[in-house]
Order: sequence, then structure tokens, then C-alpha cells
Amino acid sequence: MQMTRRSFMGSAISAAALASMPFESFAAGRKILIMASSVDIPNFDPHVATGYAPAMLFRNTYDALVRVVGTPPEVKPGLAVSWTVSDDQKHYEFKLDPTAKFQDGSPVTAESVVYSFKRIVKLKRGPSWMISGIVDADSVKAVDAQTVAFDLKAPFAPFLQVLPWMFIVNQAVVEANIGGDDGQAYLMKNTAGSGPFKMGRVAPGNLYEFIRVKDDWHQGGGNLEGAIWKIVREASTERMMLQRKEAHIALELYAEDMDALKDNPAVVSVIEPEYRTFSIKMNTAKGPLADKNLRKAISYAFNYQSMLDAAGPAELMVGPLPTGIFGHDPNLTVYRHDMDKAKEYLAKSEYKDGGFKLSVMHATGYENQRRWSLLLLEALKALKIDLDIRPATWPDTVAAAQSPDTMPSFMCLFQTANYADPDNVAFAAYHSSRNGQWQNPVYKNADVDKLIEAARVETDKTKRAELYKQFQELVIDDAPDIFGVLEKRKLGFGANVKNFVFTPVAANAIELLPLSLD
Amino acid sequence: MILYTLRRLVLLIPMLIGLTMIVFAIARLLPGDPVALAAGPNATPDVIESVRQEFGLDKSLPLQYWAYVTGLVQGDWGVSIFTRRPVFEDIMTFLPATLELVAAAMLIAIVLGIPLGLAAAVYRNGFVDYLTRTVALGGIAMPRFFLGLLLQLMFVSWLDILPLSGRFPLIEIPPEGPTGFYTIDSILAGDWYSLTIALQHLALPAFAMSLSPLATIMRMMRASTIEVLQQDFVMTERALGISNTKILFKYVLKNAMTSTLTVIGLYVSWLLGGTVLVETVFDWPGLGLYATQAILSQDFMPVIGVTLVIAMIYLVTMLIVDLLYGVFNPRVRYT
Repeated sequence: MQMTRRSFMGSAISAAALASMPFESFAAGRKILIMASSVDIPNFDPHVATGYAPAMLFRNTYDALVRVVGTPPEVKPGLAVSWTVSDDQKHYEFKLDPTAKFQDGSPVTAESVVYSFKRIVKLKRGPSWMISGIVDADSVKAVDAQTVAFDLKAPFAPFLQVLPWMFIVNQAVVEANIGGDDGQAYLMKNTAGSGPFKMGRVAPGNLYEFIRVKDDWHQGGGNLEGAIWKIVREASTERMMLQRKEAHIALELYAEDMDALKDNPAVVSVIEPEYRTFSIKMNTAKGPLADKNLRKAISYAFNYQSMLDAAGPAELMVGPLPTGIFGHDPNLTVYRHDMDKAKEYLAKSEYKDGGFKLSVMHATGYENQRRWSLLLLEALKALKIDLDIRPATWPDTVAAAQSPDTMPSFMCLFQTANYADPDNVAFAAYHSSRNGQWQNPVYKNADVDKLIEAARVETDKTKRAELYKQFQELVIDDAPDIFGVLEKRKLGFGANVKNFVFTPVAANAIELLPLSLD
Repeated sequence: MILYTLRRLVLLIPMLIGLTMIVFAIARLLPGDPVALAAGPNATPDVIESVRQEFGLDKSLPLQYWAYVTGLVQGDWGVSIFTRRPVFEDIMTFLPATLELVAAAMLIAIVLGIPLGLAAAVYRNGFVDYLTRTVALGGIAMPRFFLGLLLQLMFVSWLDILPLSGRFPLIEIPPEGPTGFYTIDSILAGDWYSLTIALQHLALPAFAMSLSPLATIMRMMRASTIEVLQQDFVMTERALGISNTKILFKYVLKNAMTSTLTVIGLYVSWLLGGTVLVETVFDWPGLGLYATQAILSQDFMPVIGVTLVIAMIYLVTMLIVDLLYGVFNPRVRYT
């Protein structure tokens, strides 16, 4: 007994000694910004990788010809200090900043731009889809060392909006490490850019360190010496890190986290609308949902208000395009919960007696999607239709989207706009050439295709807006989706982080250069 | 004993080959298309096909397996479809963190569990016995991740004496050394500051992990000790006038350890395969999180690689346990 007591006391003393040791003094006196995010950065190649975590890396270690800033996103100079556009919007000329230098000290030239675009087109990965059919290997030419010209294959209204995602690589570095895969193996783990930050420590699945390049060519900027992108799996841990000042920015917070942070004077909550749609896509090509009247009946039976209540900070979508984006018509007549109309359209359909079962696939572990699927179950029950709710991992969802045969009756999908133009959502989510992709597994309408194609090459803004108006009306009439919610982006900032400007495209891909720490 | 050990090590090879076959088949037969996912959200069908060819996933399953096994014997554990990083390199990055966590948890469980179990048996129905019963009940019943959250609440939010998460402060350079264990590498380098910091970060996740094995070891030790104490040889030793302390530590402990050793061995592998929840709560950059991410994205090679590593550690641990039986019980013969 005596010995046990002694060992117990020993343990207690050891624990107390451990606890009283000097606790880490977090970032004391150093201007190192810490961002907590659940998303890893698996690949550093700006012409291959996608997603907002890699985009954050690209925006800070590379430069593009132009940048986008603010709400609505405004095009600002990047490597290019100025540009001209021909009347037919097919010829663009960019003047490069003569002081621009890569991180190895070599100048950024027009040849670097040509090389980078050729690589993007050749690899057909990463951001290449944004300029597919618009820019090919011969479209980009170096006029002189500081001037680069683009001859587009067709006018493309959002051209300047997509350029911020076309990053310029250092040709000499890539060529020196070209291998048999156009330097993909090298750029996967290394950077070759002109951005204001270079990579420091890289611990995959854990953290990525960015170090401010000394005496680099970028003008202005904040006082950051560096930054760390820390992978944090739990939103609650992100929140606690922010509360304890162990992180300066928390990037994936939920509504309840924002509630917990709202009275904390050391934290600034950012809740902003962004161009990220959520809709429940229907299998318009096979099964009962190929019947337009049934789709309309379901669209009317769905309880949109309950969906919004479950969503946290959000707003309901008004049609297929996100609110606030160019061309969006806020006055559209859209489906709202109306059981009389639901029954009216059900009666017009071939399935007026119900008595069959449909299925919905939603993302595993995403609580809101599960709740929204339950609302769908409730809506269908009112129409005497059963629903099988299936949680699925992302690879399963992508695989299911490949054909009408593999697609379930409904799929829950978020879609983020990569560039601030309606073409992004319209083309990816409703053009038939995208069938088989998760954004648009099966929906096909030749008239919708024509409107999307016409709008993307239309140079007159008014005419373009009219085309998008027609597009929205046609898609709403087709009811291929239950148009859901636009969840607001929820970010938490330490009160000592200054100069942050929210941008609704790739909102989490934080631009470090302007930021300062008090 | 050496021959026995060698024979057991050789037997590992067919077991691991069988395991690769099973895991390989399961991983490939799952529904879903990781290639389409890895190729990117807007990849064209020909790009998806080229990625499929690049990873040899267009070939038949037996051919894919043959390519994998031939690579494996040459030290090539394959490449992740998503990160394109070599699986072996990744595992070697994440494994030390998990091993350090499991080792610390098991150390806590053994150091506290064996003496407390022994004391509970000696002072049956006394204070220590009731205390260990309560701890055991809590340890078995409480999920590790929940305990982790409670510990964070108490030691981080309220008392503010331990760090919230991670293995080392973000802005400091962790100790580098041959083991990858921050604690051991700090000691080897004589860096006591880093050791303190590493222990602070290790304390909560290790304790959260340790409670379940601690409870089982305590109960197992108690039961075994009571059983041994009732045997005739103990009565004989008492009749011979040997002191209780000597009987307990020289004769009873050794006999009671055999079954506890089995539990310890089983727990090492059980904890290795089940670190993910604690790693998630404490953002511990270990193998559990790596494996979970790979499973969710159906990234075949990391899944197979992690399974193989855990299986190897399990088999080697059980071998060590078998060898330790002989240390505690000289009647055990290795044939």
C-alpha cells in the first residue's frame, strides 16, 4: 500500500513538473502568419494541381499576368503592368513589369509567359480547361522581351478573369529539370516562380512554410516575414487555435464556430457571400426523373426555407447562377415550396400515383448534406415516392457521375466558381460537353448549349447579359437541379491581421503579400 | 531460441505475401474511380486515360499485382495517385510520430497499469482496488477521441498549461535525429528545451491513448496476480518464512506477467491501427491520418503500404511477446 501511494505521489509530482515547464511562447515578436486549414497541398505544380490550398501556394510563390481582388472581383496588374484589347476581343497585348524577377534573380520575360502557356496547353491538366478551345500552343507570342500577345481562337469574354490562375514558371529551372514528364516530377515538390514568398519547411500532411523573399521586385506589401499553412483536421481545433492565438487565420469554420467567436474581441469574423453553389442534381437522362413534370413537382415539393434554416449563414439560390455574379437575374421566378403546384405537376407526369423508390447520394460526413437529403425524403414522401439516402466518398461520387446508368436519381453537389464570370458555372454545370464530369453528369439541352456558347464569345455586355437571362430561364424551366443555397464563406481572423480584402473566388487562397501583423 | 526466432521471421514472408494479395484485391475491387478524381475536376477523358496508363491501372488485376510485388521486393512501395509521392517515403515521414505516440501511451499504461494491478490484487477490496476499478471502467467505456476533447478542455482551455495540438510549435524547428522520435532525438542531442516542448505536446494525446490499455493491463494484472497468489507454491514460500515483498516481486510477478504480456502485445498493434481519432483531435501528424486520407480517396498504394507496415509491426511485436514469455517463465520451450 505504501509503495503504491509513493508511486502515485511520484507520478503526480512528475506531471506537475511537466505542466509547469515553460510553455511555448507563440510567434512572439516574429511576423509569421499562421493559417489553419484542413486541406493539404499535395502538388506544387501550378499547371497540374487544383483546389484552393494549392491555389494559395501558387498565388504566393508564383505570379500571373494579372490578379483579381475584391468584391466583385476586379482585375489588377500582376506581372503585366498594362494591357490592350482589340475591338473584336480576340487580340490581347500585355506589357510586362521590367523589374519582375524570378526567385533565382533572372528576369521574367515574354518568353517565360509563352513557355508557361504552352506547358499549360500541352499538359491539359490543372487550369487548362479554362482556356480550352480559346488558347492553343500557337496563340501566345513574344512581341519583344517585355511584350506578350495573345491571339484567341474565338472571343472569350472572361479571358482576363481566368488569367489570374495561369501562373508563369521559370523556363530555365523547368528545362533544367524537365525529365520525361515536362518537369512535372520536379515541380510537384519544388517551385520555380517569381512570387513574393518561397517555400521553407515542407511536411506533407502537416505544414507548409512560406518565407518572404528578401529584396524581391514586388512593390509595397505588408510586414510578414513568413507564413505557415498548418493542416488542422477539425474545425473546432481551428477555432481553438484562433482563440488561443496559436493561429491567425482559420479557414474552415462552421456556423457554430462563428457563433462561439462572435463576442471574442481578439477575433474578427468574416462571413461573406461567395460564388459557391449547392444544388441537388437530378438524373435527367434515365429513370423517372427524365420526366420534366416530375422534376418540377419535386422542385415545388422541396422545403427551401428548412434548407436555409439548416444551412447557417447562407442565402437561397435564385436560379442556376450565384447571386451577385455578372448576368445573374435576381428577379427570376424560381421554385419555392408549393404543394398545390407540386401536385399539379405530378398529375401531369407519368408517375402521378407515386409508389416507387429514388436514391440520393451525398458526401459522407457532411452533416448539412445529410440534413438536406432528409428534407428531400420529406418532399418525396408527400408525393408518395420513397427515397434511399446513400452517403458516399468523393471518389464514389465522381465515379457515379460518369454515366446516366451509374448516376443515382439525385446527387448533392457544391460547385465553386474558379473565375468571376457566369461562364464558369454555366459551362461546367450545364453544357452537354461536360457530361460525365461531376459538375454535370447527364444534363443535356441543345438550346442551353447554344446560349452558353453564344454568351462566352459575345463581346457586348448588354447582349451577353440578355443571353445569360435566357439561359437562366431555360434551365429553370428544365428543372435539372433543385437550386439550393449559397453558403457564405466563414473565416476567422486574429484582430492583429491587417489589410485583408475578401475575394469571392477562391476565397481561401489567401494572398499573403498585402497582409500585416500588428 | 535463435533458431526459433529465425523460423518465425522467415514465416513472416508468406504471411505478408498473403496479406498483400488480400489487401490488393480489396482495394482494387472497391467501387469508385480514384483516377478520375486524381486527374482533376475538369480533366478530359483522354487525360484521365493517360493517368490510368501512367499508374498501370489499365492493366489486368494479376498484372498490376505482379508489378506491385516485383516492385516491393526491390524496395519500391509504389506511388500515391494523388500526391505522386513515393509511399515508402511518406510512411517513413508519418510512422515515427505514430510510433512515438503509441510508445508513450503504452509506457504510461505499463508503468501505471502493472503496479496498480498488482496493488489492487494484494489489497483486494481496498482503496486501491476500488480506485483501479473506477479507472478501468472509465478507461474501457470512454471513447479516446472524447477523452482527448475533455483533456483539451481541462488542460488547454481552463488551466492553459499544455499546448492544444501538434507535435512541436509551428514556428520552431523540431529536433532532428536518427529515430524521428522528438523525445529521443532531443535526448540524444542533449537538447533539454526541445525535450520539454516535445513532452508537453505528447502528454495529452499519449494520456488519451493510454487509458484503455491502462485499464485492461490493470485488470489483467490484478486477475493474474490473484490467481497466482492462490497457488500452492505461494503458500509453501510463506510457510518457509520468505517475506511477502520477496514472494510478490520475485515469484508472483513473474508468473502473473505472462497473460499481461499478451495483452500488451495485442494493444501495441491495436493502438497502431487505431490512432486516427486521437491524431485528428490533437492534429498529430501520424500514420493514422495518412491512412484515413488514403482510404477516403481510394489511393491504393498508401492503403496497402500502411496495412503492410502495421501487419509487420504486429507480427514482430507478437514475436517479441512470445520471446518474453521465456524470460518470465523459464518452463517455456522454443521448438
